[in-house]
Amino acid sequence: MGILNAFKVRMNTLAIVLIPVCIAIDWAGHAIASTLKLPLFLDSIGTVLGGLLAGPWVGGIAGLITNFISSGTVDPIAAPYSVISLAIGIAAGIAGYYGWHKTWPGRVALYILIVLVASIGSTPLNIGLYQGQSGLPFGDALYAGMVKGGWPTWLAAYIDEASGDIPDKLITVVVAILIFFGLPNRYRALFSVWRRPADEKAPAPAPSV
Amino acid sequence: MAGGLSLYQEGASLLHRAHPLTKGVLTLSALALAFIAPSLYWILGIALMLLILVIVAGVLRRLIAVALALLLPITVLLLAVQGFANPANHTVLFAIGPIVYYTEGLSIAAIAALRITCLVVATFLFSFTTRPADITEALMQRGLSPNMGYVLQSALQIIPQTLDMAGRIQDAQRSRGLETEGSLPKRARAYLPLMLPLVLSSLVATQERAMALEVRGFGLPVKRLNRYEFTDTAVQRVTRWALALAVPAAIVARLLGWR
Repeated sequence: MGILNAFKVRMNTLAIVLIPVCIAIDWAGHAIASTLKLPLFLDSIGTVLGGLLAGPWVGGIAGLITNFISSGTVDPIAAPYSVISLAIGIAAGIAGYYGWHKTWPGRVALYILIVLVASIGSTPLNIGLYQGQSGLPFGDALYAGMVKGGWPTWLAAYIDEASGDIPDKLITVVVAILIFFGLPNRYRALFSVWRRPADEKAPAPAPSV
Repeated sequence: MAGGLSLYQEGASLLHRAHPLTKGVLTLSALALAFIAPSLYWILGIALMLLILVIVAGVLRRLIAVALALLLPITVLLLAVQGFANPANHTVLFAIGPIVYYTEGLSIAAIAALRITCLVVATFLFSFTTRPADITEALMQRGLSPNMGYVLQSALQIIPQTLDMAGRIQDAQRSRGLETEGSLPKRARAYLPLMLPLVLSSLVATQERAMALEVRGFGLPVKRLNRYEFTDTAVQRVTRWALALAVPAAIVARLLGWR
């Protein structure tokens, strides 16, 4: 069954309740980064953590709704990027399914995967919305220099975006993994229903009254 | 109340009274059209129409306050970077020493900034005139699963609570001597001590919440009743369809050479 088994929807109440909490963690991560005046977004810690804990659906939906809510409240420009957050949550979910976060090479692979998903996904959106800029002064200065130097716009746009994602997603993944291993064992086990092998049946639901 | 986060402003305007779906379709198709429209004047037209709706809804002053803070930095960055470095640049607008600014980049940046303005205005028009609870209610009446309805609604409530808690944890950690100001490495080191307790406590609370919900019948396979009906009129239904169909029509027009 392999990878498809990770996508089987096994949403119990606990997994559903976890989604809003992951969304709130996304927000809190960003809020704390802004209070400390860190030059990073750090707004997908909850998405990655949700993926690692409870699978691609929980992570993906958490990412998607995080962006929907922020586009409806503080930053409408976040709306098109909700696709990227969805993809980040799904990527983290697949990595979690294979247990990448438990070994060092796996952790590095998780980080690289998420940087790739975020940067490759955002570049076409940046080109459509901002003519290839990322909206961050540092990356945009790089962009201006590269385009001036005759580099193709798409490559400049990619490097512009990646220059923000490489440090941002490093901290995101490190914090998400630290939180994952900071949780009580008993608690982590509660969410592992989604790791059930494909051929094993789900326990019968309680009889309804 | 879904409180701290919502931008909703009480009102009785045409837009406040409209069905949430009508407003949703309006927002989505307005921003799609802004990105499909080929030239500055078309996009300006869409922006003006949105602005008229904002005035009708009576939220102009609030919109200006929020939208300017968002749009100003982006517009400045776009105008600066594209004017100097855009592959299409060849007509010089002005030059200060070695720095040359071009006309093509300026107009490309202006179009991009105007499109982003449409996106921002259309979205805020929706969130200023629609109660968040109404959005989920309307979506659930159209077939969104009640589980997803719960996720949306409870996220809107949990976010402000979590942000409050973040503030309290920050005060607590500061009183224990955590430095949250100073050089960048110093501030970066404060991130984990603020984040970890917040996340661990809010995650551990989920189990209790799940149990509390389940004893109240969450997830039972039963048919749910609507809390209330939204008034929907034939005019609104027609408007929705017209707006939704305008998007594919515009794409076809672009393909047929709309310049």
